[in-house]
Amino acid sequence: MTKSDNLARIITGCKAGSAESFAQLVDVYASRFYGYFYRLTGDKEVSDELLSELYVKLVEKISSYKGGSFESWLFKIATNIFHDYLRGKQRRRKLLEVRKRQLESRKKKKEVKKSDSEIADKLQIQLEKLDTDMRELVMLRFYSQLKLKEIAEMRSEPIGTTLSRLHRGVKRLRELMER
Amino acid sequence: MNAENKENLKELFEKFVGAEQAERIADDIRKAEQILSEYPAPAPDDVLIADIKAQIAEALPHGQVNVFRRIAYKTAIVAAAVIVIAAISVRLFDKGPVEVTYASMIPDALWESSDISADYVELAILNAEIEQIEGEAMALELGENGGNGQADVAEIEMELIAINSDFWKG
Repeated sequence: MTKSDNLARIITGCKAGSAESFAQLVDVYASRFYGYFYRLTGDKEVSDELLSELYVKLVEKISSYKGGSFESWLFKIATNIFHDYLRGKQRRRKLLEVRKRQLESRKKKKEVKKSDSEIADKLQIQLEKLDTDMRELVMLRFYSQLKLKEIAEMRSEPIGTTLSRLHRGVKRLRELMER
Repeated sequence: MNAENKENLKELFEKFVGAEQAERIADDIRKAEQILSEYPAPAPDDVLIADIKAQIAEALPHGQVNVFRRIAYKTAIVAAAVIVIAAISVRLFDKGPVEVTYASMIPDALWESSDISADYVELAILNAEIEQIEGEAMALELGENGGNGQADVAEIEMELIAINSDFWKG
């Protein structure tokens, strides 16, 4: 049985409501989507939440999958979840503005030493210097197994635009990492 | 990570830029991907994976119940609509004299029975049994017996149906 046949069998099982088939999809995709969310947010707890949300949406929406690239369909859902998270974050940011000033004064007084797990790796620090859209595109290219043409279709933009933005993104990332 | 989406980047970029520049861009992408491979993202915790699988398993039957509920609601709405339309149709189209017929509340078997006293006894027994079952059902609903409520209520309903059926059979 080929990989695509196997995936088709799993999807059919999911559509029939088989928990086992959904569990297989978790095993197949969880690591990749977790990496994708982590590199976009830089936060493990948020990545946990977004990954859980992805699978909740998958259960809700599996009946609307009508064929074509399953990965493209799933990454589209993941991208929408990330965008929703960003919108929520912006709202929260406004509310936190008031608290920020209070916290800054306390922060100066007390310097907290971060544990190793809290220190973001070099890549994460540099990734955060890219703008969100560029970071998203680079991560989409890396974590999805989609061709650039598929990524362009997913983003509803001409392939030339996707290629150009991807090149600018990876070039900038290289420069930042080689400093 | 993306071993499966190997595509000829140079060829792809050559559609937009010169061959030399396309080669350089493809090289930039390959090197960036190399960097990304050198810094793997953390993997999700086993606990998280188990939790997601549990959430899915829990969500699935609820989904089916929701589907059932939707169908039940739709059926109820359609039934209500049919009744309303039928009632309006009768008023609009049936203008002639209405022949009123009466149906007996008492089944023929009992009506024609010659043993009225025995029938009355059975009626009294049935009545007593129904009262007892009602009492038990109420106790179960209130959780006074501490048993498996729904299963017990279902059992009592079955009993009631059986008694009712036996009674009318005679």
